[in-house]
Amino acid sequence: MEKKKYPIGAESYKLYEEIGQGVSASVYRALCVPFNEVVAIKIIDFERDNCDLSNICREAQTLILVDNPNVLNAHCSFVSDHNLWVVMPFMSGGSCLHILKAANPDGFGEVVIATILREVLKGLEYVHHHGHIHRDVKAGNILIDARGAVKLGDFGVSACLFDSGNRQRNRNTFVGTPCWMAPEVMEQLHGYDFKADIWSFGITALELAHGHAPFSKYPPMKVLLMTLQNAPPGLDYERDKKFSKSFKQMVATCLVKDPSKRPSAHKLLKHSFFKQARSNEYIARALLEGLPTLGDRIKALKKKEEDMLAQKKMPDGKMEEISQVEAWDVTDGAKSKGRKKKKKKFAESEGVEVDKEEEIGCWDNSVL
Amino acid sequence: MKGLFKSKPRTPAETVRLTRELLIYADINSNSREAKREEKMSELSKLIRELKSILYGSSEAEPVSEACSQLTQEFFRENTLRLLIICLPKLNLEARKDATQVVANLQRQQVHSKLIASDYLEANKDLMDILVSGYENTDLALHYGAMLRECIRHQCIARYVLESDHMKKFFDYIQLPNFDIASDASATFKELLTRHKSTVAEFLSKNYEWFFAEYNSKLLQSQNYITKRQAVKLLGDMLLDRANSAVMMRYVSSKDNLVILMTLLKDRSKNIQMEAFHVFKLFAANQNKPADVVCILAANKEKLIRFFRDFTVEKGRKTFFFGSFSVKDEQFEADKAQVVKEITVLEDRT
Repeated sequence: MEKKKYPIGAESYKLYEEIGQGVSASVYRALCVPFNEVVAIKIIDFERDNCDLSNICREAQTLILVDNPNVLNAHCSFVSDHNLWVVMPFMSGGSCLHILKAANPDGFGEVVIATILREVLKGLEYVHHHGHIHRDVKAGNILIDARGAVKLGDFGVSACLFDSGNRQRNRNTFVGTPCWMAPEVMEQLHGYDFKADIWSFGITALELAHGHAPFSKYPPMKVLLMTLQNAPPGLDYERDKKFSKSFKQMVATCLVKDPSKRPSAHKLLKHSFFKQARSNEYIARALLEGLPTLGDRIKALKKKEEDMLAQKKMPDGKMEEISQVEAWDVTDGAKSKGRKKKKKKFAESEGVEVDKEEEIGCWDNSVL
Repeated sequence: MKGLFKSKPRTPAETVRLTRELLIYADINSNSREAKREEKMSELSKLIRELKSILYGSSEAEPVSEACSQLTQEFFRENTLRLLIICLPKLNLEARKDATQVVANLQRQQVHSKLIASDYLEANKDLMDILVSGYENTDLALHYGAMLRECIRHQCIARYVLESDHMKKFFDYIQLPNFDIASDASATFKELLTRHKSTVAEFLSKNYEWFFAEYNSKLLQSQNYITKRQAVKLLGDMLLDRANSAVMMRYVSSKDNLVILMTLLKDRSKNIQMEAFHVFKLFAANQNKPADVVCILAANKEKLIRFFRDFTVEKGRKTFFFGSFSVKDEQFEADKAQVVKEITVLEDRT
């Protein structure tokens, strides 16, 4: 019953290439030397991260206590110099976003989608049961391991509704990535709860079906406005004819603006759409065969991004390659600083004139 | 029709009673590994989960206060809490997490506007001994730690832990190599030293000598970055609390303490420097500085003034934090100017 004990201390691990990067953390492929086992290590710089230390502490604890096949857990965590090392299982398939970019730019087939989403939903059910809201459900956070197992990752921005003994009505912070963000999270009027994840789940379904999230070609400000003002997106384009009716219905039940009308993860699992879901092996065969290694795919992606940024050109539908790198968290000054430059570029490339700084400042005041 | 074939749902009190029976069973039959035991343990896990959903509600339903209060009364009518704590190592991870949340929630349940958990714990203080020693067991630390933090919300229980020998152990727990456990111990330590103002003030003045000797040597001068950073922060929080003003005066009248803070002011971590400044300023602001404190400040006058000239909040940090940060920055600049002024007037008598 006792968990396998991973060694505590940097000397027991050998870092290989970087496989993920945020503003205050990087993820590396690494070897756990005594076990001769490949792992992933997230290294968080305490000096660079000026957000509350207690958030990092809580995240580390949450990850250690996760015990579910569909949620990425942590083996252990320790401090090395002014960095926190969080040792996690290595998901060699990378994220669904990586796989979309590398081999399926126009989206996956329906059976693959049903299989991935069923696993994600099982993970979400677990996360919600423990009182957490994930707050950043998207293809970039759905990870696949070598055998086709699907796990929901990056608890980085998760919040707990059952925090220290009390059920809290809802949260009131502005966290997530704009394209996947539920309207009530954007509005910040009444706070939000588990149902915000169900909206993001619906957007993720569209992302897997099309290869990118709806509105992803627009700058973040515009995404906010479109999400609040337009009818919810759905599977109703010409190219969506290939998808079944139950898929369209499933997406539509998630993407309802009134959160109370969205189903819980538990309920949604019973939707007929998921009947066609298959096994992990099927995912491994359908998605992973013939793919270059994760490290090589990431190198190629990075190169592509840099080239595009250099040319200041963002072709349609490619926006999320950059915006997926970090969650948009306006409670963190350091992050926003890095993003502002990029957003400026988006605005220029789109020819949209928005004074971001001022508007962002306004939101921030309402958060504080 | 369906309802006819369903067994009548259990009342919350019945759920507690069944849980208690199974806990007693688990407690006695610890070594038998027969199938019957497995079955009972899985039943127990289900019951604990049921208790949790009564107290917290589910993703579809809010908790019902009448049910919560029935559950709480039955829970504390007998020794259920003790059984649950003792049997925790026998539960699986999911059941341990559920049990922890149940215990946490129960500390806040009021029955007839009374916190009955507090009365129970008052009579069963030795349970805290089990919870504190949980930090020595990697598999139990986070669960016992979370329960402990909830229990010390009751002032009488916090006082018990503060006055016990356990306090000394925290200086080691905080530096455990597992970050998740060490940070849990720090959170508890901080709670103990900040939550109940009058109790904390009393504890600090009674235990000043050993407590700050340990605090200075083990925490402020730790090799571990995070221990050091959290310790300076907590020190600032404690000394700046109005309730602890006597302790603060004593602390800032010591030359040795000043030297430690001046070393931290030059730490290579900007965050530690910043936290150290908030304590250092108290030494400078003290209007009754002892001679040896004056002596050190005066001897370093030029260096300190030069240091503070370049000592600023990093520009990048403020950009987004319109509201709170700019106010904080202004406060920081004002504090800094005050400190420089205090130091400038000191005469170097060496």
